[in-house]
Amino acid sequence: MSEEAVMPHLRLDPDDVGDQDAESLLQAIKSDLRYEEVIHGCLNCGVCSGSCPSHRFFDYSPRIVVQTVLSGDAQAVKDMMDEYIWACAQCYTCAMRCPFHNSPGGLVMIMREVAVWRGMEAVHRLLKPYGRVLLKVLSIGNQLTPDMIQPDFFPDWGPKIPWSSTDLAIKRKAIPVYTLQVTTSAWRVSPETSYELYTIYEETGVFRLIEQIDPNLYEVVSDMVEDLRDMVESTR
Amino acid sequence: MATSPISDKVRTSGWEFVTKTVDKRALMKAQPKDPREELAELEAKGEVKVIHITEENRPIEVETLLGRTKRIPTNKLWHHKSCGQCGNIPGYPTSIMWFMNKLGLEYLDETHQTSCTAWNYHGSGTSNLVALASVAVRNWHRAYETGYYPLIHCGTSFGNYKEMRNLLIEHKDLRDEVRRIMNKVGRELVIPEEIVHYSEWLHVLRDKIAALKVHDVSHIVTTVHPACHVWKLVPEDVIYDPNIYGGERPAPTTAILLALGAQVADYSTWYDCCGFGFRHILTEREFSRSFSLERKIKVMVEEAHSDVAITQDTGCTTTLDKNQWIGKAHGYNYELPVMADVQFAALAAGADPYKVVQIQWHTSGWEKLLDKMGIDWRTSKAQYEAYLEELKAGREPEQLYVPPLESLNLH
Ligand code: SF4
Ligand code: SF4
Repeated sequence: MSEEAVMPHLRLDPDDVGDQDAESLLQAIKSDLRYEEVIHGCLNCGVCSGSCPSHRFFDYSPRIVVQTVLSGDAQAVKDMMDEYIWACAQCYTCAMRCPFHNSPGGLVMIMREVAVWRGMEAVHRLLKPYGRVLLKVLSIGNQLTPDMIQPDFFPDWGPKIPWSSTDLAIKRKAIPVYTLQVTTSAWRVSPETSYELYTIYEETGVFRLIEQIDPNLYEVVSDMVEDLRDMVESTR
Repeated sequence: MATSPISDKVRTSGWEFVTKTVDKRALMKAQPKDPREELAELEAKGEVKVIHITEENRPIEVETLLGRTKRIPTNKLWHHKSCGQCGNIPGYPTSIMWFMNKLGLEYLDETHQTSCTAWNYHGSGTSNLVALASVAVRNWHRAYETGYYPLIHCGTSFGNYKEMRNLLIEHKDLRDEVRRIMNKVGRELVIPEEIVHYSEWLHVLRDKIAALKVHDVSHIVTTVHPACHVWKLVPEDVIYDPNIYGGERPAPTTAILLALGAQVADYSTWYDCCGFGFRHILTEREFSRSFSLERKIKVMVEEAHSDVAITQDTGCTTTLDKNQWIGKAHGYNYELPVMADVQFAALAAGADPYKVVQIQWHTSGWEKLLDKMGIDWRTSKAQYEAYLEELKAGREPEQLYVPPLESLNLH
C-alpha cells in the first residue's frame, strides 16, 4: 500500500461490488471518513485484546486487527475480512480502554462495511441467517418485532417462549400503550415514515446494495416499497 | 453502598490502577473537543439548526466523565422508542410512561419514528454512514417539528446518535449530503443540543421516583450491568458522580437503585459486555450463551449473591434473561431475574407487575424476587388472565397514554 494521501469518502459505491482486489479493499478502508477517528497509531500493548469478549471465546484479537491494517499488508487484511473480523461483538470495550484512544471495534465496523459492499464471499454465508432482520429494517425501520420471537427459532430460550407467541395479538393488546398494540412491528409505524425511510435507502445506495447481494430479498422488499408508495401517494 | 466480598481482591489486583489510568483517560494529553461548543458555532453560522433544551423541558444539570456539565431535560419529551424493547420487553417503555404519568410530565409517543437501524448495521454492515446519519436526523427533525425533545430509550440508539452527532459536527461533506437527503423528504438538518438516554432521565429524577416507593427493597441485592453502547461508545458524554462508586463508573442505574434503598453489589466482571454481539445473538448463539452465563450471570450469583440483575439497555436485558435456561444442559442452574432499572423502580413503586411492568415476558424466574419484595403477583396474574379473556371478547384495551390523533396519520 503506498503512503500517498487517501481521499476520505462518505460511502462506498455499489458499482464497486465484486472488486475484491486486496489493495483496493485496503484503500477503501483507509479512505473511510471515520478511519482517522478510529486509529491514531498503536502501542501493540494488547489492552484491547485483554478486555475483548470475543478474544476470550474465539481465535480473534483486536490488537491483531489494528496491527495488520497498520502494517499495510493488503492480502492479510483481505483474509481477515472474510471471517476473522466477524467474531467482534461490537461492544467497544477496546475503544474505552485503548491508551491511544483508538477504536478497534470502529475499525472492524469499517472493514465489515467494505466487505459487504464489495460482496465478499463470506458475506453471503454470514448474512443468510439475517434475512428476517433485514426484511424488517428495510420495510419498516424496525429490527425486531414481536412475531419474530417463535419457539422454532429460539428453542434454547426455554419453556416460556411458547407463551410469548401464543395469542400474541391479544397479549400485545393488553400492553397499555396504543403504539405497541401490534404484532408485526415493534410499534405502529406510519406509512409516511416508511415512505421517507425508503427515500433515505434509495439516496444512500442501501437498496442498490441489497439488490446486488441478495436479489431475492430485494424483490420482496421492492414489492412492499412499491405498494406503500402507491398507498401514500394516493392519499396525498 | 453495599460492599461485596470481592472488592478487596479486586483492589489489590491492579484493577484500580487500570480503571484510574485508562478509564479516566489520564494518559490522554488533551481532552477531545466538546462537540456542543462546535455545534453552537455551526448554529451561529447558520450551518445547522439546533434542538434546544428550553425551560419547558425543566432540565437538571449533571457532570460527565470529563467534568463537563450536561443538561438532562425532564419534561415535554418525545419518546424515541427501541425496537428491541417494544418488540420483546414491552414493560420497559410502559414503565417509563407510567412514571411520567405519576410525575405529571408531558410527553409525546407517536408513530412517525423509525428505529436508529444501528443494531442491523453493527451486526451485518448492510448500511453506511450517510444512511445512519440520515435516519438519525429524520427522527430528530420529527421531534423538533413537534416541539418535544427526543428521549432515546435504546442504548445502541443513544451511542449511535452520539456518534452521528459528532461526525455531523466534524464533517461538512456529511452535513451537505444529509441536508440534501433531508430536502428530498421535506425535512431540515437539525441536531439536538444533547443526546439524552432514558437512564439519564431516570437518574436525575431518582429522588422523586424513590419518593413513590411502596415496597421496601433494602434487603434486595442487585447487580448492575452497565450497557456498552451507553457508556463505551462516545464515553465523554456519560454521567459520572463522585458519590457513586467513587466516580469510577457511570452513575445512572446504580444511583437510582441506591436512591430506592436497594443494595448494589460489586462484581469483578461488571466491565464485560453481556454477550449480545449484535450478530452473535442470532448467528453465533453459543457465544452469547456462554459469555452471558460464564462472565455475567455466574459471577453475579456466585460472587455477589445477587437477587436480580439490573440493566439499562435492550440487547443486554434480552441476552442475560433468555440465555439462562439453556445453561441447565451444563449444570448451571441459575435463575437470576433480569430487568431494566426502570422496571425494578416501577415494581418498587407499586406498578402492576403484569399490566404495567409486563414481567410475564421475561423468561428467567422472577417470582421469588417479587415474593421477596412483598409483591402479590399471583393476584395480578389472575387479573391479567381475566383481562385477556375480556379483550378476546371484544373489550377495548386500557391505555396509559393515547397519542393525539393528528400525530397518528395511520391512513
Ligand atoms: S489497546 Fe490500543 S494501542 Fe494497545 S494494542 Fe490495542 S489498539 Fe493498539
Ligand atoms: S468491540 Fe469488538 S474488538 Fe472491541 S472489545 Fe468488543 S468484541 Fe473486542
